[in-house]
Amino acid sequence: MSGGMALVERIYHNRGKRVRELKAEGRKIIGYLCSLVPVELLTAADLVPYRLTGSMKEPITEADSYLETIACPFTRSAFDLAIKGNYSFLDGYVMPHACDNIVKLYDLWAHNIEHTYGHFVNVPHTLSPPSLEFFTAELSTFKTSLERFTGYDIAAAALRRSVRLHNQQRALVRRLYQLRRRDPPPISGTEMAKVLAAAVSLPVAEANELLKSVISEVGDRSPLRGQKRGVRLMIYGTGNEESTFIEMVEGIGAQVVIDDLCFGTRPYWFEVEATDDLLSGIGKSYLEKINCPRTYRQSPGSHQEDLESRFSYLHRLARDFNVKGAIFFTLRYCDTHCFDAPDVKEYLEGKGLPVLRIEEEYPLSGIGRLRTRVEAFCEMVS
Amino acid sequence: MEHLFKAITEGPKKTTAEKSSEISKRVRRMVKDLAQKAHEARAKGDPIGYLFIASYYDDILRAMDIVTVGTENYAGLCAAKMDAERFLSKAEAEGYPSHLCTYATCGLGFDALRHELGEMPPNAPDGGMESPTVMLGTGMMICDPRYKWYQAAQRYTGAPMHVLGLLSPPVHYTHFDLEEVKGYYLRYVTEELKGLVDFLERQLGRKMDWDRLSEVVDLSERTTKVWYDAYQLRRAVPAPMPTEDALNCMVPGYFMMGTQEAYDFYCQLYDELKYRVDNKIGTIPDEKYRLLWALNIPPWYALVLFNYFETLGAVFPIEVVYHPVKFEIPTGVTNPLERMAWRFYDSFTRRHEKARAHTGDSVVEWMLELIEDYQIDGVVFHQAMTCRTIHTGLLHQMSVLKKYCDKPVLLLEGDLIDIRNYNEADTHAKIDAFIELLEDYKKRQP
Repeated sequence: MSGGMALVERIYHNRGKRVRELKAEGRKIIGYLCSLVPVELLTAADLVPYRLTGSMKEPITEADSYLETIACPFTRSAFDLAIKGNYSFLDGYVMPHACDNIVKLYDLWAHNIEHTYGHFVNVPHTLSPPSLEFFTAELSTFKTSLERFTGYDIAAAALRRSVRLHNQQRALVRRLYQLRRRDPPPISGTEMAKVLAAAVSLPVAEANELLKSVISEVGDRSPLRGQKRGVRLMIYGTGNEESTFIEMVEGIGAQVVIDDLCFGTRPYWFEVEATDDLLSGIGKSYLEKINCPRTYRQSPGSHQEDLESRFSYLHRLARDFNVKGAIFFTLRYCDTHCFDAPDVKEYLEGKGLPVLRIEEEYPLSGIGRLRTRVEAFCEMVS
Repeated sequence: MEHLFKAITEGPKKTTAEKSSEISKRVRRMVKDLAQKAHEARAKGDPIGYLFIASYYDDILRAMDIVTVGTENYAGLCAAKMDAERFLSKAEAEGYPSHLCTYATCGLGFDALRHELGEMPPNAPDGGMESPTVMLGTGMMICDPRYKWYQAAQRYTGAPMHVLGLLSPPVHYTHFDLEEVKGYYLRYVTEELKGLVDFLERQLGRKMDWDRLSEVVDLSERTTKVWYDAYQLRRAVPAPMPTEDALNCMVPGYFMMGTQEAYDFYCQLYDELKYRVDNKIGTIPDEKYRLLWALNIPPWYALVLFNYFETLGAVFPIEVVYHPVKFEIPTGVTNPLERMAWRFYDSFTRRHEKARAHTGDSVVEWMLELIEDYQIDGVVFHQAMTCRTIHTGLLHQMSVLKKYCDKPVLLLEGDLIDIRNYNEADTHAKIDAFIELLEDYKKRQP
């Protein structure tokens, strides 16, 4: 292992190291949760965005005194880390109105975790014209709050530069994904998960350099002699930053070649429109183009048309990446995804794509049992 | 007290609580009438809307003569009638996990069964939920099932759906004040309400009569006020009306708002409460402990638990859940949609500034007000296992409350609808221990 992937491996196993160094140099670090926070504004304010996660390796202990076990285990784990001081390097935090779990977490965080900056970005649930107008106003509030926090105005040129940098990052991630269309793909799903976890732990410019290095390294890889062509799979649902589940799937010979996950393609499969009114462009892009089930898309007519409107992008991904089966993976208590379960299953199976439905805890509760189910699915698909 | 002992020992099928006030006993009839209106509307081909509680859009539906079916209310009815399990099981068989909101899964199971059978499920409570012409969800700060449930239900109902954006700001901001965002929040809700009118006009081919809407809005505001005023009478000792009665009395306010019937109901409620207060008629003969039911939905299949408290001398004179809202609309705001937006916004944010300056939690602020105004001795929380909307963060709420007010608190566990999440013996044991704690606290009071 050398170059970009070696660096990825180091960052993945110590995600907070780089931001701690930057903090020591006087930079301010802002933690954020979920793909719906427009990180462009943080970068433009010369702050370092750091994506918050839980930990698969750390049992949830302290959070149990604040947040019941019926809450999303990922948010409980993230809060558990914060209560234990693992996020003490943060100067502040930003959370979006994504789902009930995050709204609740925001209150708890504000009340219990020391911070000098805290902001909630209220994201509408619909795509109506008033929703777009509201979200633009809300981003203006976000921008002003950052300016008050830093003491500096965010210049239009700085915001434009930030949009460009983050769009470049999205393009690089998509380029890396495109390499996975090869059979066998030169980069595994496990490696990809680590690359993306590393990318959200660095300032955008550094992450872009890392991605370029990884693309260069991976693009030159040739299939190893005897490398098997495993069943090509897609994973859809709630994601987490850790590669454990994907590693298990690939450990039995399958290949996770594409995904639609919170820590996967979801924050990267679009570009922010660099419109004259940048806030409006950012708002429109985040609201309309991030395919999270928490955003309601008006049904165009019949049930079938509704499914087509909501899930056709998944079919396109499956087709483009030559996928033979899909795993619909959700963390327990992710209501917005779970309400979609019968719909997405019906849609994908209707397109001839077998679906394995998995609902799990965070950390994963029984890897052996999961392996058996995935093995059976792979056998059936192949 | 004899009737209360009877209520809790009558046998496993007893779910509803014995009521004290006369007016609360009328509500069951009103619920049946609501179902009947929906059956008649279906027979005549009139539009029917699936409605969510506390969605602040009711006035629009009344003004457009749309018959409504309160889907959460129907799930509660199924639970009280011990007839939810077949619908919950059906939803699970369809692929909806059992940890999802059981209001929603009961409704989805019902819709799935009705769709499959091509007719009402046999012996459905109150003749069943009629199939909707439109489904009206909301996109709020809380409660994702408000839009995900109906979106899922489209596979069974085929009915067009609209989601109304109803956003309010949170309590916490470090570098912003509420006043700075108020303008665009109010504008958003107003425009979203207009969007709902447009949707209904388009779908149903009816035009909004704006003068009529103004009248309905005025009636709703007066109804809310008289409802609120009536509840102020519940401060009296002994408690003139307990929470189990209020769980009935909320029905006109949440499912019939904007009707003369709802207004008349709360006027009569006011009169009855006034009479009971003036004549010192309490809920139980020897009121030892006054309790507050927190912002938690009760176990609809086990409301008889309130009677259990009463047999031990404890009564709930007031509750946070389903409490009528208080709001102020600035003079000069006359547009009915703007008035509706103000009612929503002001009721959702009226304790934000106070919370920021004090406990940091607007619900705790509300509880503190009620504890003082209603002379409360202890607070009871109920964790409904399938609701993340208002049943997570209770542990935090309890600890903040304890910091600002030294009253005993009790956390019960159960569910909204699914009796499988409930253990009656365990609940009674917890209540017994809590009563002992209350007694201990009382003794320590100077």
